[in-house]
Amino acid sequence: MAEAFLVAQGLHKSFNEHKAVNGVSFTIYKGEIFGLLGPNGAGKTTTIRMLSTVLKPDRGDVTVGEYSIRHDADAVRSLIGVCPQELALYEDLSALDNMVFFGRMVGLDGKEAQAQAMAHLELMGLTERAKGKIAKFSGGMKRRVNLAIALMGYPELLFLDEPTVGIDPQSRNNIYETIEGLRDKGMTILYTTHYMEEADRLCDRVAIMDGGRIIAMDTPYQLKGQAGSPEQVTLEDVFLKLTGRSLRD
Amino acid sequence: MTSLMHIWSIALKDLKIFVKDRLALLFAILFPFLFVVLFSVVLSGVGSEDERLELHLVTLEDRGGLSHYIIEAIETEDESELEPGEPVIVWNDDYEKAYQSVANQGLEGFLAFPDDFTDGVSMGYGTNLEVVVDPEATYTRAALNAVAEAIASRVGQQQVISNAITELMLERWLESPGDVADIAQDIPELLSVQRGVPTRPSLIEFEVEKVGEVEGEEPSNFVIPGYLVMFVFFTAALSAVNIVRERQNRTLERLLASSVRRESILGGIFTGTATKGLIQIIIFWVVGILAFNIDLGLAPAAVILLSILMIIMSSAFGVMLATLTKTERSASSIAVLTSLVLAPLGGCWWPLFITPKWMQFIAKITPHGWATTGFNKLLVFGADFSAAVPEMLALVGFTVIFSIIAIWRFRTSAV
Repeated sequence: MAEAFLVAQGLHKSFNEHKAVNGVSFTIYKGEIFGLLGPNGAGKTTTIRMLSTVLKPDRGDVTVGEYSIRHDADAVRSLIGVCPQELALYEDLSALDNMVFFGRMVGLDGKEAQAQAMAHLELMGLTERAKGKIAKFSGGMKRRVNLAIALMGYPELLFLDEPTVGIDPQSRNNIYETIEGLRDKGMTILYTTHYMEEADRLCDRVAIMDGGRIIAMDTPYQLKGQAGSPEQVTLEDVFLKLTGRSLRD
Repeated sequence: MTSLMHIWSIALKDLKIFVKDRLALLFAILFPFLFVVLFSVVLSGVGSEDERLELHLVTLEDRGGLSHYIIEAIETEDESELEPGEPVIVWNDDYEKAYQSVANQGLEGFLAFPDDFTDGVSMGYGTNLEVVVDPEATYTRAALNAVAEAIASRVGQQQVISNAITELMLERWLESPGDVADIAQDIPELLSVQRGVPTRPSLIEFEVEKVGEVEGEEPSNFVIPGYLVMFVFFTAALSAVNIVRERQNRTLERLLASSVRRESILGGIFTGTATKGLIQIIIFWVVGILAFNIDLGLAPAAVILLSILMIIMSSAFGVMLATLTKTERSASSIAVLTSLVLAPLGGCWWPLFITPKWMQFIAKITPHGWATTGFNKLLVFGADFSAAVPEMLALVGFTVIFSIIAIWRFRTSAV
């Protein structure tokens, strides 16, 4: 049986009267890509922010490896890498400067940060633009740098919050291949997306969230099987069946 | 050790962004110098000239009276020949006009000789000199009184001599009315009392004793520190915008999810802001000394320490402001508003020592007021180190207050 690497138990988080996350529990096993799907406002990003120690849950706990986010937040941070939904980059700095800076922030020394930065930029096909200012990059290039930064320090667990939003197919494909390569190397990944075909292609298991709760959790194949023949039904059909067709703004 | 590395890396990153932002550089470095150059030139005349006092004299006597001779003798004919500090003596023709002019504050005052001046002196029954003066013109009043006393004294002295001669002549003539030759011989003897005194062209003379050189205050001595305080504070306050932007761009969240402690993030932001202030200060002082001939006074160490404390206080304010605001717009608005309100109140645009007491009192509630007062003590009044200690302690106090609020807010509302 696969080893559990992240265990979330009964997570709750409210903002004023609004319950953003309402009793979420799940387990991510070592080396798998776990998809967290849901419409806008489902509570995916709030869940990731709690898992990555940025937000404190009102109730519940998360253990990463053997560390609790409540009691050993520093130790948890040393195991994780985060690629936020927003382009969390310094626009006035070069791609290399951005990467070296965040490399230093995860505890790398100058030389190691420089070496890893160049390696990850190469992985993203950005070696020639390493010294280019981020402000002059295209949306796809910025997304790739955003992901590359999350890889600095080779974290054991990677949180990817909608890493392919608003980019061209070429950049998206590059990111898919990178993520698949990371899984092959044994990295554990939590992946959120709105693109169902993306989740179907990349994720070993997915959880569908709505209204701050997990309403379904299984492999994409099994979920599709619950709605009909897995060969004829898409994950999007399952998603719409579970979350409804009403607009979420 | 790791925390220090994090702090320095964050500060270095902020400096890199600062250096690459030409507009920010222009605002933080070049713009203040334009102000300093402009105001140093504009204020270069202030206090640098020894302003001459003008003393006006009027006589009510008819032409041929003694007062006409006195005024003629002391009236200034060529102002360029006056020594520094010597007053200009002006002869006014019309008493009524001069009086109205004082009433309308066109003239500060004048000295008037009465119409019976010559008779009063020659007949010996005495006379009164009149000093008409604006009650607020204290210097002019004092000078006119001095002129009046000098005239009375000299005229009195001459009167005593002439009375003595007259009495002696009368006495001799009574003793031996025919011996006119003896009387003529005695007069020079009596006048010999005056022989030791050199002959003077006029009855009154002013002696001006100059103690040291008359030097105007170098305007850059208060212009540069004033604008330095204003712009260092302004730049630090505006850095709140960068911190808020960091929160909105989620780079702050990214930092919080890495191995960096919250205290290190706050320390890094603070160090970056303070380093920018330090660069500003170094450039200000170096250029101030080399280009504007600024004198750091008796205690240069106090000037440096006061500058550093001012940077630390401003940086603490910038970080505090960032933790109190949620959007870039509100951060920049408050930064601009506080800087523009506190600068004049705190004596950055003009020296506090020329302002009324109530303004000096208000300045005490601003950190700017303490900083500029400290710089003025050291640079303008030549005070020693200990004189600026209260100002230094006040800046430390402001820093502590701003820091406590910043740390508390950052812990509770960092993202």
